[in-house]
Amino acid sequence: MTTIDTTGGTPESAAPRRGGDGALRRYLAALRTPRGAAGAGLLGALVLLALLAPALFPGGYDEQGSGGLAGASAAHWMGTDELGRDILARTVYGLRTDLSLLLTAVPASAVIGTLMGLSGVLSRWLGAGMQRLLDVILGFPGIVLGMSVVLVIGTGWLALFASILVIGLPLFGRQARAGLQIEQEREYVLAARVLGVRRRTVMTRHVLPNIVDPIVVNAAVYMVVAIFIEAGLSIVGLGIQPPIPSLGAMLNTGARYLEVHPAYVMGPGLVLLLLTLAFTLLSNALNKAVLRK
Amino acid sequence: MLRFLVRRLPSVVFVLLATTVVAFLLPRLAPGDPASVAAGPEATPEQIAALRIEMGLDRPLIQQYLDWMGGLFTGQLGESLQFRRPVSELIGARLESTVELTVAATLLMIVVGIGLGVFAGSARSRWSRFTADATNTTLLAMPPFLAGLLLVILLGVTFRVLPISGEVAVLDDPVIGLQYLILPAIALAVPMSGSIAMLVQSSMDNAWRQDYVDLAVAKGVGRRRIAVRHVVRNSLGPAVVAIGIRFGEMLAGAVVIEMIFARNGLGQLAVTSVQSADYNVVQVLIVGAVVIAVVVQLLTEIAMATLDPRVRLGV
Repeated sequence: MTTIDTTGGTPESAAPRRGGDGALRRYLAALRTPRGAAGAGLLGALVLLALLAPALFPGGYDEQGSGGLAGASAAHWMGTDELGRDILARTVYGLRTDLSLLLTAVPASAVIGTLMGLSGVLSRWLGAGMQRLLDVILGFPGIVLGMSVVLVIGTGWLALFASILVIGLPLFGRQARAGLQIEQEREYVLAARVLGVRRRTVMTRHVLPNIVDPIVVNAAVYMVVAIFIEAGLSIVGLGIQPPIPSLGAMLNTGARYLEVHPAYVMGPGLVLLLLTLAFTLLSNALNKAVLRK
Repeated sequence: MLRFLVRRLPSVVFVLLATTVVAFLLPRLAPGDPASVAAGPEATPEQIAALRIEMGLDRPLIQQYLDWMGGLFTGQLGESLQFRRPVSELIGARLESTVELTVAATLLMIVVGIGLGVFAGSARSRWSRFTADATNTTLLAMPPFLAGLLLVILLGVTFRVLPISGEVAVLDDPVIGLQYLILPAIALAVPMSGSIAMLVQSSMDNAWRQDYVDLAVAKGVGRRRIAVRHVVRNSLGPAVVAIGIRFGEMLAGAVVIEMIFARNGLGQLAVTSVQSADYNVVQVLIVGAVVIAVVVQLLTEIAMATLDPRVRLGV
């Protein structure tokens, strides 16, 4: 109970005291709501599945059998692809590829984007310049930006990582800047300044914890967009390249055999849908919990 | 309106200029010399040197940029390395297909998005609310390419009611053309209408709590009339803006949808050009996509402000 309460105990004036662990408690509470629990459970199951892939399919994603494009059987629950590889194994390994992208590129985008949004604290010119840069990125429709990245560094995991990272920057940067501008005007910031607290301390101790909420919600929302970016680029052949599977890359090859083997796209398609659903439910639950604050 | 334009125009122009710089620099950022890429793997050093001069790569960078910009404005877009044809001709030949797809999808998105949103926003029984919410969540979680694949499996392979691959220009043969257009347009539009519906629903929920609704109720106006005259009318603003902002996404989605339904549009051209490092084509397509997306967004903001007097442009 250190800050000066000038607003008579409204929730806003109480917020800065709670800081980080208050936020964490809110997120955990969000996971106990029906939506949050469903989303977290679903995501947990998918992550577990991806982690267990080498144990479940010791042959890896590239083990070729004899029959190509075979239907479901006891050995291959979802049939085999054009090279006789097990579709279920490739789907699970594809999920691994997708998760490895999402769980690295989205946090990286959130951190870098937020720093870009907050850069106005260091100098007004830097802040304004960063905003212009974000405006330019925002002008590019997602897949067009992805194509530009591929044009420069070629196809593959790294190009997808870079695309997801860059496309997300405006989302986080603008949010952070807007949050910063609101928080800077608040009484508690003014009070801390008047008391002689250093600018940097005000930023890290008071302002930052209060703009974390929308960034966390945005990160969950952006996970869904990132899934679509991977799948969109891979499905047109500009993403993950064979023989490595990703959910999008499997849809790319599977789409050629829709008439003879519809189950080929249904496996990766279903997993992709479950992954999106998990993040949609999570972001909904987090959003509600944060708003209720 | 003029003041709004004066305020917005500098940043719009800046974004567009910066985009042209990015597009211009792309081939120069990529590893390898653009001239040797263009000349092909079997070219002699002399041929490459000659091509360097022909492509203007020996001149200062700023000169090259200005020449290229001049070309963009005059339609002298150079030649495709892949097809050995002028870029303007290639784009012209593919334009109609993509325009048909995006126009049809935009119309569908407006109808389905606003329809579903109004249904969800006026639903009162628990059951219809749940149905609306579930439909929305499913649509939000369903990317266009997945909707496309499902439609192909369901209506093209299992039931065989509609053609799933190829196209016929609607202007040449409206009946057959529309048959080819309908599935790709649904696949592109319906998933995107989920977010429109959600916006309409939440602003309708908000509008129901406004004082003018209470006043109308107090005056004894029927619920249906209030919904149509007051609530819906005041709730469409955010949806209009969202549709405008979604237009860039629509173009991006068209790339994938064209791939799935084997439509020979600009998206396909972009993909094959990226794959074969056909820079002349990709640069123009990138600039074109960004210009269209940014301009549509600006027009939406203007339209929004003319529709709603509360938005004094630029607030």
